[in-house]
Amino acid sequence: MSDKQTTHFGYKEVEKDAKAGLVAGVFHSVAARYDLMNDLMSGGIHRIWKRFTIELSGVRRGNSVLDIAGGTGDLAARFSRMVGTDGRVVLADINDSMLKVGRDKLIDGGNLGNIDYVQADAQYLPFPDDSFDCVTIAFGLRNVTDKDLALRAMLRVLKPGGRLLVLEFSKPRNELLGKAYDAYSFNVLPKMGQLVAGDSESYQYLAESIRVHPDQDTLKQMMEDVGFSAVEYHNMTGGIVALHRGIKA
Amino acid sequence: MPDPTLHTAALAALEGAVNRALALDSRSGEQLGRLEGCVFSLDCTSPPFRAFLLPAADGVNLAGHWEGKVTTAVRGQAADFAELATAADPTAALINGNLTLEGDSAPLIELQKILAGLELDWEAPLVDTLGDVAGHQLAEAFRGAFSYGRMAHKSLERQLEEFIHEEARLSPPRLELEDFYRDVGALAERSERLAARLARLRARVERLKP
Repeated sequence: MSDKQTTHFGYKEVEKDAKAGLVAGVFHSVAARYDLMNDLMSGGIHRIWKRFTIELSGVRRGNSVLDIAGGTGDLAARFSRMVGTDGRVVLADINDSMLKVGRDKLIDGGNLGNIDYVQADAQYLPFPDDSFDCVTIAFGLRNVTDKDLALRAMLRVLKPGGRLLVLEFSKPRNELLGKAYDAYSFNVLPKMGQLVAGDSESYQYLAESIRVHPDQDTLKQMMEDVGFSAVEYHNMTGGIVALHRGIKA
Repeated sequence: MPDPTLHTAALAALEGAVNRALALDSRSGEQLGRLEGCVFSLDCTSPPFRAFLLPAADGVNLAGHWEGKVTTAVRGQAADFAELATAADPTAALINGNLTLEGDSAPLIELQKILAGLELDWEAPLVDTLGDVAGHQLAEAFRGAFSYGRMAHKSLERQLEEFIHEEARLSPPRLELEDFYRDVGALAERSERLAARLARLRARVERLKP
């Protein structure tokens, strides 16, 4: 098997064509308790990371926003209020279980009228060129098989001047914090997954997938290579998470 | 930029607290709705803290980062902000205070009036939590306690003022001080007149010298 035909699935090497199915299996398994697990895993800090993402999005009334791998709709709910009735938010996810949970949660929360739900693969976005003022992907890029292809697709659907925001786990800047984080991810996280969602393997995958995801500078370079301008990143919580932002020139 | 996690968390907590307080005054939504679209930049120099306040009909949004146009930018120390927030006359507080202001002051004054004029109704959330009877009784007790607290505060203020001015003579009473200023003013005028007269006499003596 050549390198080009394989990719990472956590620490395992799997065939490229198989990754999407394996990732889908993980998220089908965790969808129902995804929000609860996120709160438990991060101690609620994921809400702070997402809040900062929204601040940097620069989204205004009347804008159109695409939230890829939008999961259970945390960002979409806020964007829906920000863009108002003149704007439009598209919540996209490759996984229909996540999309259904997200749609139900948004509707129950009264977010109606300006949100569309689309089951879509981030690598092959089914939208015309220059469609969105802002594209976000929060904790989704590391699950994508071909990240370059996905970044190119995001660049294509952005309007000139539009922004891409990538919120993703990254590499802690402090060695001690990194060791504590590793111990937590590989010992506590799977046990918590087993206890709350009845599935330790999926959370083992989540921990592994974070470690093989490109670090801050590599992802910045990847975004510049596909054509994003003024790319910058902000480390949060000591670099456990980084927010990358790039502009379509 | 330093790690934004703590700053963002602090703003989220503050925003939650402010919005919970605003929700207790049924008029606040309508009043804040009039300011929707305004962006206030609040730059506290000591302790250093920066935030952007965006009012809307459903509450306020506090952001640590804003790249758009700002309606009013205010800069100063925490004590200056506190002085403005509690001022009975915000216009005078802005003119006489130490805050630096850029942009349109009218929306800021409007915002100050809304926040300073909040009339919090504790009864609704208490009734929701404890039921009609217990909630109402507790709300009445709160109202009584607040009313007594306000009266006690005013009375203490009056008595303390009297003690400082009249009993302990630590500071002169206002009327006495005004009399003293008037006397000083009159003395200053008389001194100036005397100085002018002396100057005239000196000039005359100079002219009479051979």
